[in-house]
Amino acid sequence: MAEVITVTSGKGGVGKSTTTANIATALAMLGKKTVAVDFDIGLRNLDMILGLENRIVYDVVDVMENRCNLAQAVIKDKRTANLHFLPASQTKDKTVLDKEKVEKLINDLKKEFDYILIDSPAGIESGFEHAIYLADRALIVTTPEISSVRDADRVIGIIDAKSKKAALGEEVQKHIIINRIKPELVEKGEMLSTEDVLHILALPLIGIVPDDEEIVKSTNLGEPIVLNEKSLVGEAFRRIARRINGEEVEFLDLKSKKGFFKKLKGLFT
Amino acid sequence: MSFFDIFKKKKSKDVAKDRLMMMLAYERASTKIDNLEEMKKELIGVVKKYLKVKDIEIKSSSNQDIETLEVEIILEK
Repeated sequence: MAEVITVTSGKGGVGKSTTTANIATALAMLGKKTVAVDFDIGLRNLDMILGLENRIVYDVVDVMENRCNLAQAVIKDKRTANLHFLPASQTKDKTVLDKEKVEKLINDLKKEFDYILIDSPAGIESGFEHAIYLADRALIVTTPEISSVRDADRVIGIIDAKSKKAALGEEVQKHIIINRIKPELVEKGEMLSTEDVLHILALPLIGIVPDDEEIVKSTNLGEPIVLNEKSLVGEAFRRIARRINGEEVEFLDLKSKKGFFKKLKGLFT
Repeated sequence: MSFFDIFKKKKSKDVAKDRLMMMLAYERASTKIDNLEEMKKELIGVVKKYLKVKDIEIKSSSNQDIETLEVEIILEK
């Protein structure tokens, strides 16, 4: 049975698209037929993070307006088997999406794929409503900063009101992903810890992702960091994918990478 | 953390957490009521039948366990 997963956040720039790209890639690596759908109409960027920008012919709006069929618009990733991508449209008109058309598209995708990951636009406007409407599960991405947590809380508060599943009396699973954690700052008491964020948002955790400059490089290259076996951030996303896939996996133990001498110095200051 | 830190002021993350919890307690409650203005008008209508009302203020707050709605009816003197 296909699962529709919407990746969302209140605040923009917290790493939603990077998260979508990496979880989708990691799910595909687990052998699940996965499609990442960019619902950020007008501001597409999942294509570049996935490194598929040069292969776009049709987009999600073309499919909904019957200008092409689904198979023509869906791009199959050549590096990662099982990974597919449906790009957002570049149109300036953000109101092009319509509930029935979105529903038809998602239902068609459900027949083809195991996992449908929707990259939702930030904020709580119409684009968000469409992205969340048919979700079985919502992944709320936040960084450990007050503005991001505050906006995450607002989004969490309206997910059920915008969800078809919730309207039918079923539950939309909601999980928190804490992105860009800086262990050194957390240890110093200068950044909200995972526990702090969960205490405030009162939802189950599905992933903690450390801050890592390697992400910049992977975005530059258009290669999701989960493809790098050695990367800790990659491991964080791979574990999220395994949890989505029903496996119980331990959370990463994020500790600052202090050297021995720094630790020694720390004892005397 | 060294021994002397005990005398230092609060960690910045604790300040952040306190500020967030305060703000969210207020915001969570206000998003619960979709048409607060409409409710206000109706409330005024009802109370007006019996008293001379100047205004009604509705405050809401919540914490982990309980949510409250505080309705303050301001009467004309």
